[in-house]
Amino acid sequence: MQSARPKPSEPTGRALLKGLAFASPFIIGFLVLYLWPILASGYYSLTDFSLFKAPKWVGLANYERMISDAKFWKSLYNTLFFTFVGVPVDIAISIAGAHILNQKLKGQPLWRALVYLPSIVPAVAAGFLWRWLLNAQYGFVNEILRWFRIPQPNWLLDASWGGISVIVLMLWTVGGTMLIYLAALKNVPQELYEAAELDGAGPLRRFWHITWPMISPVTLFQVIVLIIAFLQVFTQPFVLSKDPGLGTQTATGPGDSMLSYSIYLFQNGFTFLKMGYASAMAWVLLFVTLAITLLILWSAKKWVFYDNR
Amino acid sequence: MERKAQARAAHAAMSTALGAVMLLGGALGASAQDKTEVTFSYLWGGAEGAALEQIITDFNASQDKIVVKGVSSPDMTKQLASMSSAKGAFDISDNFASNIASWANQGILLPLDEFGLDTADFPESAMKQLVVDGVLYSVPIATHNFQLVYNKKLLDEAGVTPPTSMAELADAIKKLTKVDAEGNVTQLGLGLTDISAGLKTLGYAHGGDWNRDGKPTPTDPGFVEGVQFYFDNVVAPVTPAAYNKFVAGFGPYMSDQDSFKQGKIAMVFEGEWRAKFNTEAGMDWGVVQVPGKTPELNGSTWADVSTIFIPTNTQNKEAAGEFLKYLISPPAMEKFSHVLANLPGRLSLVDSATYDDLPNFKVWLDALKNPNTHGLPPALYMAEYNADLASAFDSVLQGAQTAEAALQGVADRTGSYSQ
Repeated sequence: MQSARPKPSEPTGRALLKGLAFASPFIIGFLVLYLWPILASGYYSLTDFSLFKAPKWVGLANYERMISDAKFWKSLYNTLFFTFVGVPVDIAISIAGAHILNQKLKGQPLWRALVYLPSIVPAVAAGFLWRWLLNAQYGFVNEILRWFRIPQPNWLLDASWGGISVIVLMLWTVGGTMLIYLAALKNVPQELYEAAELDGAGPLRRFWHITWPMISPVTLFQVIVLIIAFLQVFTQPFVLSKDPGLGTQTATGPGDSMLSYSIYLFQNGFTFLKMGYASAMAWVLLFVTLAITLLILWSAKKWVFYDNR
Repeated sequence: MERKAQARAAHAAMSTALGAVMLLGGALGASAQDKTEVTFSYLWGGAEGAALEQIITDFNASQDKIVVKGVSSPDMTKQLASMSSAKGAFDISDNFASNIASWANQGILLPLDEFGLDTADFPESAMKQLVVDGVLYSVPIATHNFQLVYNKKLLDEAGVTPPTSMAELADAIKKLTKVDAEGNVTQLGLGLTDISAGLKTLGYAHGGDWNRDGKPTPTDPGFVEGVQFYFDNVVAPVTPAAYNKFVAGFGPYMSDQDSFKQGKIAMVFEGEWRAKFNTEAGMDWGVVQVPGKTPELNGSTWADVSTIFIPTNTQNKEAAGEFLKYLISPPAMEKFSHVLANLPGRLSLVDSATYDDLPNFKVWLDALKNPNTHGLPPALYMAEYNADLASAFDSVLQGAQTAEAALQGVADRTGSYSQ
């Protein structure tokens, strides 16, 4: 005997209203907290706006001003330097660290917890900690370099090392990426390695021909997420660039080497009261991020391997 | 029966007590409600904040219509954001004079002329920064200027007397700077605990002005010469790399690791608040007026001002005005400035005996009446200009650019400033 199948209910106005009511927290939140500010900043970017007075339409003047603003270019250069040096190094350390964590070591859960620990330390606290670690006179980092007779840079007050210091601090939270790679490594089928070993492949060839392609989807995700994080870097250079003697905030570091794009945007908006210019900078950052992300996604066809193809 | 009577008596007593408590609470509540509450958000904290709270307590005790609630909030961005809404989080607050013109131009400061304040007693160098287009927007609660503070012990050891001319200053710097066999600096003759304040002071001492007639003048010859003087006499002799390595070891300002307290720097341009810190730190120290390039320029310095203002979005304008009048009244100002070892914002207090227990304070007090003490004109661009100057000064101290080139870079940017 065949049981009667329930007839699918037709969407009615009442059901639609109920659905919308349940979804309304998100819809309202999205409209008020996301969409409206996005649209408003787009409008403000075309105005002379100071937060306090009514915006005055200036067309593309804010965007034109960027062309001749040396600090805008300096901040963009610094941020791209942080990104294009920091992200590859972050990925390399993460993959290497994940391989080590993937070994059958004693107390492995403890090691995994330890590498993740810096990720839960607030960025401001970490910044102050690293200000001491990188201190040219008393810092532990230079003390270790001294043991090995390696020249000790003036990390925080030498223009050629300011940017490197920011990257070092960003890399301190590499543990999060490392653990994601660890999960990816555990998903690589062991029989692939066994077959390769039988064929005489050494560790490097096994990594290049098996591991790298198999974890490439994770790498694609990590590269995009890290690039976005590095392009928006604010807290790390902001804390590191505090004047050591006085404690006043210069926020730009030696030779403006720590002036990140987000810091300059913040200065324009909330210190110089040029909210229109700051909004224009925000849109430029969005397009720069979008362009780099699209470029990576386009290139992914050539280097990302999906085993379900 | 007896138990019932006892219970009734107990209930009656409790009811009476409860009623009394409610009545008292109601009376107190009504009393508090009758008073207008004024929120005073101040940037100070620690000892300064405690001194302000004492003044607030004194004011509240004298009032039956207004009650002031003090809130220590050192975040200037939060302060500014609060003034952007229709109803602000505070009714009265403080800041520095350099922000007043810009904020007045944004319409977020209440004009104070309607309160009928007598401004004749305020120093001209301070008032110059607080009156914008003829309208008073803020009043000084304390003023500050910079003089040459020195470590007596280090000067005595080097056989140096406190310099009274620029040539003597250069000579003293040379004798007081020490470098070890490996080329590491161990003592600086003249240090900067506030780079910007120190180099601006040197600019004035060379007859320059970085902000003349309401316009940014970063390439003013005297100003450029002052900045270059520091590089030539302090940084270049020890090399920029050695200078910056030494500076990297400076501890937090006015702490136990303070560079002047530690004897790492022998002389420094410092504000009057140092008088209290140096003395409490048990230092053997002295202060002289800033030596000038020529005798006429001796005592050249500049005045910064801690100011009190009322935001436009206050909900209690009249009550805030009453409290403002109290804050800047001679007794309150004297008490506040003395506790903080700040200079008063009133000329009539300059000769007050109250400050006699602050060692060497007179040098800073006298500067309030010195014509070589410069006030800054009200300008909309100060925040941006100061940020650019800080970058230029850093570039000079790094040895990356000469003072002339670095300050020319600032001049190239001034066209985009708010005017």
